[in-house]
Amino acid sequence: MHELFAGNFIDISLASALQVVLLGFIGGILSGFIGSGGAFFMTPGMMNLGVDGVIAVASNITHKFGKALVGSRKHAAAGNVDKKLAAFMLGTALIGVQIAVWINSYFKGGGDSHGVDQGAGANLYISLVFAVILSAVAVSMLRDILKSKGNGEAVAGPSMKIAEYLSRLNLPPVIHFSVADTKVSLWVLMVVGVATGYLAGTIGVGGFIGVPAMIYVFGVPTAVATGTELFLAVFMGGYGALSYAYLGFVDLRLTMLLYLGSLVGIHLGVYGVKVVNEKYIRVVTSLIILLCVFSRVIAIPVYLRQLGYMNMDAGWDVYFNTTSKFFLFASGISGALVILMQVVRAYRQRRQIQKTLLVIRKPGLISTESAKAA
Amino acid sequence: MTIVMISSMYQSGREELAQALARKTGWPVLSREELVDEARKLGIKIGRLEVAMIKTPGLSEKLVREKELYLAFLTATLCEKARQGNLIYHGRAGHLLLPGVSHRLRVGLTAPRENRIKRTAQALNLTPDKAETYLAQLDEDVGKWIRYIHRVDGRDPNHFDLFFNLENMGLSNAAGILCATAELPDFQATPASLKLLNDLNLSAQAKLRLALDERTLQADLQVHADNGVVTVTYPPNQDQVSQYIPQVLAELPGCREIQCTMAETNILWVQERFEPESGNFGQIIRLAQRWGAAVELMRLIPPGEAPAGVEGLNSESDYSYGRRDCALADDGGVQDDDDPQTATDDGGLGRTEEELVDIGRFGGRHTVCGGYDKILERVQGSGRYTLVVIGDMFMSKGHSARTRQTRELALNIRDRLKAPVITADELKSHFLFGKRQAATLLGYLALSILIYVLVFTNQKPVLDFLGGPFHQNFKVVAAVTVTLFSPLLAYVFGTVSELALKIINVD
Repeated sequence: MHELFAGNFIDISLASALQVVLLGFIGGILSGFIGSGGAFFMTPGMMNLGVDGVIAVASNITHKFGKALVGSRKHAAAGNVDKKLAAFMLGTALIGVQIAVWINSYFKGGGDSHGVDQGAGANLYISLVFAVILSAVAVSMLRDILKSKGNGEAVAGPSMKIAEYLSRLNLPPVIHFSVADTKVSLWVLMVVGVATGYLAGTIGVGGFIGVPAMIYVFGVPTAVATGTELFLAVFMGGYGALSYAYLGFVDLRLTMLLYLGSLVGIHLGVYGVKVVNEKYIRVVTSLIILLCVFSRVIAIPVYLRQLGYMNMDAGWDVYFNTTSKFFLFASGISGALVILMQVVRAYRQRRQIQKTLLVIRKPGLISTESAKAA
Repeated sequence: MTIVMISSMYQSGREELAQALARKTGWPVLSREELVDEARKLGIKIGRLEVAMIKTPGLSEKLVREKELYLAFLTATLCEKARQGNLIYHGRAGHLLLPGVSHRLRVGLTAPRENRIKRTAQALNLTPDKAETYLAQLDEDVGKWIRYIHRVDGRDPNHFDLFFNLENMGLSNAAGILCATAELPDFQATPASLKLLNDLNLSAQAKLRLALDERTLQADLQVHADNGVVTVTYPPNQDQVSQYIPQVLAELPGCREIQCTMAETNILWVQERFEPESGNFGQIIRLAQRWGAAVELMRLIPPGEAPAGVEGLNSESDYSYGRRDCALADDGGVQDDDDPQTATDDGGLGRTEEELVDIGRFGGRHTVCGGYDKILERVQGSGRYTLVVIGDMFMSKGHSARTRQTRELALNIRDRLKAPVITADELKSHFLFGKRQAATLLGYLALSILIYVLVFTNQKPVLDFLGGPFHQNFKVVAAVTVTLFSPLLAYVFGTVSELALKIINVD
């Protein structure tokens, strides 16, 4: 049992410190590679070490704030941040977050779902939204990849059907975003912004929703969507860090340990995006998301039992919860390992400078010619 | 098996020496003149190439291709003959051909100037004065030709095994010495030298086929052969050519495998004037080699600074000069064998291109006149750039105006191309690891260690500040401190990890 300090902060041993660094490293690889996904892994990971849920969330948000600030600066230098789009998204997303808080309050749960044990009603509601929305995102990504494979395309591009349909509607006023080089109706922007904020406030994973929404609904290039989302995360993270620190929930030691791992991992993840082909990135991303969804779905019978909708022995709860946790960690760890493996392979290939695309062999010719030459 | 390569200036007796050696040895003789005739029959425009190289400081893309074709033809023909047995070759710079083959004997020859003038006067039916003037001009032109074709000084003694001065030595004696030298074990074929000869031959044959086939003749291809494996590298923006390469090389004798490779990515380098000797060039090459990138050159002539004398180029209101006006700079001033024009300045593009070709990093070139919109027009459809480097621009302006206009140009290109754009000054600090980066790494590493040690050796007061009694009294101070501290630490340690990974080329 950990000794608790002032404000319910835990005593950090060397072993637990190393585990937090490892959590940060894996979270960093995931967020560098797929643009989001650090929080879903790091927060429950810290809670497993005995860190109180709120402190885990607060420390992670503070960590995310600094990381997003540094990352968005790099993205801005690369021309991947559309500040105007971020401003519109931020304004509308805040409304969505507020709506999420009201709905969650109705279910007597509160607004955060990073594994914090809240009311069964809220948990069920959050899990269902999580499963439905993220399944839709993952299936949509996989369908795109399979379609492009069928068409024999070399590189799969995101489907622009929704974006094209909405742009044909031409609902005034239409706003032009110069960096993203796209035009979006204010109404579409508001609906998506509010929905994104609502989902971020409900299931706590803004990036999983914001990035695909910008790509598929607004038609924003992938790099700009990631950069803009990270820019948004600066403000949300800053606000979160300030609020939680004011309440005394931020354990700066955990934040610092997370940095040790994540700031190395994120560079490896970003490097992976540069050297691994886009189709592979989306396959890995969608599979990680599907595993997360599966982890959430496994926990649903427990909430149904707690609400009296299902007749099940309470002793089974522990098995469902353990399996759910197993899949959550499996998705993070296996995802990070697969990415790391690809990064190492690509790094070794890159060391050879050039990539062989096409090899045609004509066996036997060389021996004949060598004999002639001799 | 020995290859004797005799080189000399016009009317120095190289043909006579070759014939004398042939009489002693019975080996076949091949002259540059014979090769040039064969090259002309194949459609290689040697005359245009010679005029252009002698008259212009740089080369157009077309002429660089012509030069590569000419060299490939010389190499392939010489290799074919040399693979059949001993060979005597004589020409202007034969000693520079078949580089690296150890069983060639590189022979230089010089004769007294008076003798050369006399022989020239007789051969061309000129007065001695005119012959002397002609010879002086010819020597100068041939010197330039050798420098452009082979990129070395043709008279450099480091490139010869033997050098004869015929002032006091007769041709017969010189041939005798040559004959004895050629018999030495040092100049006999070895398995390694035969392999190199085969590789050179295969590479040259492949280049010839690719350069003469209409499907591939416009592509910027690098060809390399090793032990029967032909590797053809093309820039990413010409990936459509990859499908034709195996077809063109399908029946190439001696080729057991064809590898079509693509440079991993493209760096676009925009600059007003290019100089291969400049610091910018070195930095971009280092980056291209680290990233496996091809470098695409774009010479941007700012509005109102187009070369004088070309109609329409000086008008600020008319930037739409189009390909033809700007292409004049690319043509090296020469259109064909019969109509050589006066050369125009290509802004160092040709020389820079040659350097890039040499190290296998050339990804294409353009010249545009006007603003950033012209750059975008030209690179449309070129695919993705990993980096756009804005080099030295607006050179005629003052420092402040230059800085401001370069920044505006970079911003405009970045917004439209959706690619990272960087100025040459920023290049070193952003992407390369130098002394400054090493100092930053050490400084920030020390600072990071200090912060971590301070926090983890004083956990109680830190936690008191974060959520204990101190926090209860100074909530705002604690909240603001945490909010400021977090990004600061992220920046400091983020820089450390970024620079550390950069050392091992993960960037």
